[in-house]
Formats: sequence, structure tokens, C-alpha cells
Amino acid sequence: MRPFDLVEPATLEEAFHLLEGDDPAVRPIGGGTALMLMMKEQVFRPVRLVSLRHLAPQFGAISIDADHRMIRFGATTSFSELEHSAVVARHLPVVVRTMRTLANVRVRNVATLGGNLAHADPHLDLPPVWIALGAQIVIENPAGPRIVPAEDIFEGYYETNLRHDDIIREIRVPLNASQRASYVKITTRSAHDWPALGIAVRLEMKDGLAHHPRIVLSAATNKPTRLVRTEALAHGQPITPASLRELGEAAVSEADIASDSRGSADYKKHLLRVHLGRALHALALEE
Amino acid sequence: MASQTLTTPAMPAGQVGRSIPRLEAAAKVTGRAEYVHNMSLPGMLHGKIFRSVIPHGKIKHLDLDAARAVEGVFLVAAIDDIRKVIAHPYYGPAFHDQPILADGKVRYAGEPVAVVLADEAHIAEEAAGLISAEYEELPGVYDEVEAHGAQVFVHDELKPAATFPDLAHLLGRRDTNVALDFQLRRGDADAAFAAAEHVFEHHFRTQPTMHTPLEPFVSIADASGGSLTLHTASQNPSFVRIEIARLLGWPENRVRVKVPYLGGGFGGKLYIKLEALVTALSLIARRPVKISLTMQEQFFMVMRHAATIRIKSGVDKSGRITARSCEVWWNGGAYADIGPRVTQKAGFTAAGPYDIDNVELNSYAVYTNRTPAGALRGFGAPQTCWAYETHTDMIAAKLGIDQLAFRRMNLLHDGRPQATGTILRDAAIDKVLDRVAERMNWGTPLERGTGRIRRGRGIAIGFKGITAPTTSVAMINLYADGSCGLYIGTVDMGQGSDTCMAQIAAEVLNLDAESIKVIHPDTDVTPYDMGTLGSRSTFHMGTAVRLAALDANQKIAALAEELGVPPNSNLPFSELLRRKYRMQAGNIIGIGSFIPGYDKPDQETGQSANVTPFWGVGGSGAEVEIDIETGEFKVTKLVNVADVGAAINPKLLAAQLSGAAIMQLGFTTSENMLYRDGQLTNGSFADYKIPCLLDMPAVFINEFVESRQHDGPFGAKGAGESTTIAVSPAIGNAIADAIGVRLMDLPLTAEAIHGAILAAGIGGDDEH
Repeated sequence: MRPFDLVEPATLEEAFHLLEGDDPAVRPIGGGTALMLMMKEQVFRPVRLVSLRHLAPQFGAISIDADHRMIRFGATTSFSELEHSAVVARHLPVVVRTMRTLANVRVRNVATLGGNLAHADPHLDLPPVWIALGAQIVIENPAGPRIVPAEDIFEGYYETNLRHDDIIREIRVPLNASQRASYVKITTRSAHDWPALGIAVRLEMKDGLAHHPRIVLSAATNKPTRLVRTEALAHGQPITPASLRELGEAAVSEADIASDSRGSADYKKHLLRVHLGRALHALALEE
Repeated sequence: MASQTLTTPAMPAGQVGRSIPRLEAAAKVTGRAEYVHNMSLPGMLHGKIFRSVIPHGKIKHLDLDAARAVEGVFLVAAIDDIRKVIAHPYYGPAFHDQPILADGKVRYAGEPVAVVLADEAHIAEEAAGLISAEYEELPGVYDEVEAHGAQVFVHDELKPAATFPDLAHLLGRRDTNVALDFQLRRGDADAAFAAAEHVFEHHFRTQPTMHTPLEPFVSIADASGGSLTLHTASQNPSFVRIEIARLLGWPENRVRVKVPYLGGGFGGKLYIKLEALVTALSLIARRPVKISLTMQEQFFMVMRHAATIRIKSGVDKSGRITARSCEVWWNGGAYADIGPRVTQKAGFTAAGPYDIDNVELNSYAVYTNRTPAGALRGFGAPQTCWAYETHTDMIAAKLGIDQLAFRRMNLLHDGRPQATGTILRDAAIDKVLDRVAERMNWGTPLERGTGRIRRGRGIAIGFKGITAPTTSVAMINLYADGSCGLYIGTVDMGQGSDTCMAQIAAEVLNLDAESIKVIHPDTDVTPYDMGTLGSRSTFHMGTAVRLAALDANQKIAALAEELGVPPNSNLPFSELLRRKYRMQAGNIIGIGSFIPGYDKPDQETGQSANVTPFWGVGGSGAEVEIDIETGEFKVTKLVNVADVGAAINPKLLAAQLSGAAIMQLGFTTSENMLYRDGQLTNGSFADYKIPCLLDMPAVFINEFVESRQHDGPFGAKGAGESTTIAVSPAIGNAIADAIGVRLMDLPLTAEAIHGAILAAGIGGDDEH
């Protein structure tokens, strides 16, 4: 690995200053768990990495609004802080459950929420969960901050529309006491493999009918993708064997799935069909 | 060489049989154990390899200028540079077919073509990225069966090494991809098939897999003053010295090979890997040279043979197997490595551990344009066992005979001839099968599941011959203060050989095993050993160590006599030395040398009176749970039982048995080197998946049966590979038991199971 500068600014202004210019070899780094792998592979050869870790006092907190309508995660929050947060366990149990099979304890101790979003590997577990939960991303920029829905930052395979001088500050998740959510990670080889499919689902159940479902597919697609036609079909539907079959077929026809070393496109479509149905069924039965 | 007949005393209750912790445990957990990976020499250069991106082609032009222009680059070398120091730069244990760098032609994607040397590894890496090559692409051959008869040839002619007289007939053979064809004929298979009540024939395939040691390949060469020192992560330092001396035309005493601990080897770090390359580079550069491969580069070094296996059996009315014929094609990749030996050793056991009068075996080592294939924990036995134990299970199912009963009915017992004609001895095949059945509760019905969850169970048993004839020499040095050094060429690569050998020496010398220092391989210091491979160390080196200790004891007795000390006086040897030299001085040196008997198989019939020093025996049982909607499955229980003779260190042994089984679990369910048009498409640990702790079966039992190898040290034999042999068919048989559908090809994936369910339908008794 070629030598490079690692700088650790203490303020946002300083960080912006260090990121100035448009050299792609100058970029921010969160926990670095993904970036280091790309550097070892020489896919990414940095000149300067701007570490955000010293921004943690402003960027590292998990807080909940007084009215309990919004939970906010600072971008430098580590996965293990998320995993062990009592607030998250109470208000967003799906996030804590997702941590159980997310990478390993060494990665979770280091990797950060902001870095995870910016990396945009479609196999990552958290982005589909954020999207299903309707998360908003707060992005700082020298020209001023902006807020965008989580699904809008992903453009494609390892691609986002984040700009060179953007820094992710916060993830905001609206809370809704009546929502149910789950994430299913489906691996086809060893247990610590990247998922062949990730399926994140959130919905509310009213009078036995699914309401406002959000269904997100990751890993099998080139970016975490909402299956909006399937969502529309599910809205107001009862969860029955017949409706699950129909929703499974809708998801399969809507998702753009390609073959890779984890499975053929046909097999992954079948897994989507089956596991989406099971996930919806389990949520419908949840108390 | 004359063989030795040894008799051993009954196992004493002393050092042997104790479950002592590894001698190096503290050094390893505190990060102090020595590895080549951490080693640096003054003035050392780092090498980075430029590799071929095409699987087969002539090199038209190689542009090294841009790499040479990089600041900090010391040297950029291709084959012409290597030739300046090594005139005939071809190496290999069986065939001298592998060039140190590509010589005008590349034969697999990933083959080393050029090397950059620089003071800093990252500079060499960057410069290597600037090298470019133009090729005239040639058609490639990738499949072992297609390559057998193809008109595309990986090599123009065969170049067997002179060291193997049984390969001499292959010298200069042209227009073939078959590096070795082994055949065995016993009885009259054709007549037996004609007379058989039932004949079954099936075809199986196994996939290419990789060793994945935690420590990738690494070697350092330091050539200066007309001699050479190699620090290398190698499983056979003695072979490295011989082969490097041959390449250089030097006497062996000018080449020194040192090996500290290895971070795993599994058969990958055998013979020549990076050693010839760093040797040539150090001679050119006149500085020490180190090359450390990345994890990803390991995929371009050596792999386990993929194999295609056709197997056919004739069975009489009573269910006795009367004839078996097997044809095995081994995908050897671009260079032979030890593939021809795998072809022969796994060839002669390819009919399985059954008592069959009429056997016909053909086994072909086939060159292809893929990464070279060599030894990997089992030397081909797991591949053939996949075929014969799936086949055997299918026959039992078709005949409506219980799988255990069918095996028992046909099992090979001590005193009966194996397919080679060698009379079976000290092979507890029956005991192993009994123990597997017992641990599987075979007599009790299984809860088979309902709805979408189905459960099944399966068993399998296999055996293997051991590389022969091979030699181990050990030296024991008793120092004047009463302490002891054990000088052996066995490489401790995680299996615990230091501990085991110290226990054997301590047993004979009446010392504590923990007090013995094991001196690691250093060919200037430690005597010859053929290599740490093929489950041979405990048996071969263990015997040599025992003989060395007995020799030392005899010398102690002679010294006592010389000094007029009455027998049985119990004076420690340190006191004897003090009396002789009148101070703390002198040594007592014991030497032990061992080569077991061997009778080379007949070229035409494969028959031999003594084909193996001992038999490795492994049996497995598995329970699986399958989701029939998706094919997703779990191995919920895995039982592995081995015959290891008597246990020198039961705790270490259990760990070794479980490690081997987990490794084979990966080769059964998830590991697969995927090729498309000769290109590896999943050459990283993100895409080539080895099992992790969460993949271990909930019930995981690893045991050995009570047994005794009559000529092994204290009754012991090798154990490193036994529990790799039967894991795959046990799991495959369990899957078939659960869903009534057979998978014929490894690996056993959820997708393959789902495909088979779709094709066959659930609950059928289809045994195609």
C-alpha cells in the first residue's frame, strides 16, 4: 500500500478545508473497514484521508426527540453503539436484530453509519433497513446542509450522488409506534457470506390489513431498491397465502436480479418470492 | 533400501497418551512465535509478481520499461534474466515442467510472467501494475475429461523428473495432456459384470478448491558468498534444498533451508512454490529478496484437483459386490506439481474399503489451462470417496438394503487383500463404521420432519494409502546439564507435531515432554525428512524419534559401562558426562532413521505386496435439515471417527480431527473455485467462502477408535487427513435420505438441492 496522509480535523470547517479540490484520491473516512479493503486491493489509492472520528462529539450521538417522533443517529456512530443502545432496542428493534448477522464484532466496533451509507455496496445490511424505515439523511456541504430520503442517495453499484465535498452528518428515522419491521439476510454459502438477498420490510397492520408497506430489496440488485409496485399492491391487503403468492410474483417481476457467484438469477428470484412472503407473514402475526 | 521391522513395547503410561497443551501455545497467543511473514533481513528487497491475464497464449511482447522507470525500483526480471543464474529454470517434484517465470508461453490465467524488486513492497506493487504484455492467444482446455482427448496441448512434451523411475516411460511423450495414467487390474471385472445380478453405474464430479492457509505463501532468499539461505513457509525443507541445489548445480551443503512455524499448509506449501523464484532473484540482485503473496494471489499457486469419476459395480443376488470399475480424471491444471502421485495414490483406493474380488481402476492426471493442482489434505481420497460412497449408498437404496448393513456385508477386513493385493493390516475399518453408526443412533428411527422441513441422515466410510517409500531421520542431542534438544525436519504448521514428537522422545528418555526443546527445520542442522505431508509425520518421524531416543539410551548405557557405573544405578546422564569430562561438557547424540517397507505396484496391474506403510481410515455420519421450498439446509449433526492407531496426545488429536472435518465441510457445501473460459471469477475470500464458527453443526462429534498400528511409534499412525475422507458423501447421503433426490456433483448447495427437488419432485424414491 502506498503511503498517504491521514488527517483528523476537529471541526466541520476544517474537514471541508481538507477536502477542498476535486482530487478523487482525497476523501473522508469513517471507520474505514470497507475503504481499507479497497486500498489493499489497490482499487482505491488515497493521497489524503480525512478522518471524521474527531467530529464524534457533534456527529456521534444517538438521540430521540422529546415528542418521540424522530430518532437521530450521528454519522460517526459505530455499529456496536447502535447494537447496544437501549433507545434503539426499544424504538427500532429491527435495527438491533439486523446487527446480529451484520459482519462481525470487530467490524461492528469500528464501522460507522455514515461510512456505511457512503460506501454504497449493495450487499450492505443497513441501507435497506434505513430505506424501509423512511430514514432521511442530513448532508453537510460548504454551500449549506440538505436533507434527502435515504433511497435517493444511491445511484448504482458502489455509486452515490454524494458530492466530493459532502459529509454525512446524521440519519433521522421517523418513529411510529404501530409500525412493524424486519430485515431478512439470506446467505447461500457460509454464514458470514455477503447476502445473496437482503429483504427489509416495514408496515402497519390495521384490522388485519397491511398498511403503508415499504419493501426494499438489496444485494441481488445493484443498489438497495424499493419495490414500489409490490408495496402499492400490498397496501390495504390481508396477509393470506393467496396474497403472499401474488406479492411474491409481483416482487419477482419488479426486481432486476442478475446471476452471480451466490446464485443464479432464477434461484434468487425464487428466494425473494419465498422469503418476502415469509417476512410479511411473520410481521402480520407479530403482536 | 532395506526396510526395517520394528517391534514396539506396549504403551507405557508416561509421556505418551498425555493430553499436554502445545509446547508453543504461550508463544502463539502472545504473538511471539516466529513466522517468515514477520521476518526482515538487512538490505532486503521486496518482490511483486506480474501475472498473466489470459489462460493460454504465446508472449509476443513484454514491456518492462515503465516499471523500470519507477523511482525506487531495483530490478524488473523476466525469464531471460532468470536464465542468467539458472540455465534450465524448470522445476517440479514429479515433472520438471514448471518454469520459474513464464517462458515464451503462459498456460494459466494468473501465471507469473515478470517480477519487480524494490526496497519497499508498495513501490514494487505499483511498478508491477505498469508492466504490460501482448499475447497471441491460444485455445485453452479447462475440463479434465475434454482435455484427455483434446487436440489442444498444454505442454508440447512430457518432462518427468529423473528421480521417479516409474515415470521414466513417459519421457518425451508428445501430443497428450495425460501426464500419468495409473491402472489396476484385479480378477476379471468383465466376466464378473456379465455374471452379476445387478449392475449400477454413476458419474460424479468434484469441484476445485483451495488450501486457504491463514499465512499465505512467503519465501526469503539470501544468496551471498557462494551460498544460499532460504527462509520459507514450506512443508518440506529437505525437498526444497535438493531441488534448489539441482537447479543451481550446487552441492546440497551450499543451500540452507530454514522453516519456522507455519500458519497452516494443508499440502499447499509443498515442493517448490516461491523458493526457486526468490533464489534466482537474490542471485541476480545480490541482496536478500522476499516475496509474500496476498490472500488473493494464493488462488494462482496451487489448488485441490477437481475430478470426474465414473464408477460401476456388479452385485450378486445376496447383495455382495462382485465387481467394481472406476475411471477417474484429475484436473491437474497447467503444471503437474504432485498431481501424478495423487493420481496413483488415490487411484488404487478408488473402489473404496470393500472386499471386491474383481476390480478395474483407471486414473488419469490431466493437464488443463488452470491453476496447477496438488495435494490438499487427503491426497485425492476425499474426491474418490465422494464417488464410491455415494454410489454405494445408491446401490443399497436401490436394493432395499439398510445402508449400514450393506456396507458391513461388503466391508474389507484385516487379513483380506485390498484391490492392490496388499493384505490389509491394522486398519480398523469395521470399528470405525461401528462407532459412526453408534454415534448416529443408527438403530433408532429419525424424526423426519413435516411440512416444508425434512430431515435425513447418512453415513460414509473411506480409507487412503500413504505416500511411500519415504524417509525420516531424527537426532536427539542430550546436553551436559541434562537437558535435551530434538532435531527434526518435521514442520509444525498448527497440527502440533512439536508437542507430539517431544512426547515420544520424552517417553523413551524418561523426561518431561515440556522440558524438551524441538529444534525447527534448518537443513544445516536438522537431518533429512521427506516432508510434513500425507499424514506421515507421526508414523515416520515419530518412529525415527523413538529410534533416536533408543540410540541415545544405548549410548548412555555404554558410557555408564565405560565409567564403571553399575547397571541400573539411576545416575543421570548429566552426571555421567561430568564424570567423563570432569566438567559440564560433551554431548550424547542419538540418531534414528526410518524407512518403511514398500513394494512398487506393477505397471500393468497395480498389484503390490506392500503398497502402503499404513492405512488411513475415516468414517462420517451426518444429519441434515432441509427447507424443501428453497433447498436451504443445515448440517445439524456431524460425526467423524478415525482410526489413528494409538493416540500420542488425545486432546491435540481431537482438535486435528475436528479441523479436518470442518475443512471438508467447506469443500462439501460452500467452497468452489468458479471458472469461466479459464478465468477464475471468485478469487477472493469475499467470493470464495470457507466455513466460519456459525457454520459448525450444532452436534459435532470427533472421535477415534481403540486401535494399534503394530509398527507405529507406541502403536500410533497418522491422523491429519482421516476425517476429510468421508464427510462429503455422509452429507450427500443424508440429503438424499431427507428428500429422496441425489446430488452427483460437489459442492452441495441450496440451489443445487432446490434444482434437484424441482426436477424430481418431493418424496419420490428416485435413485437415478
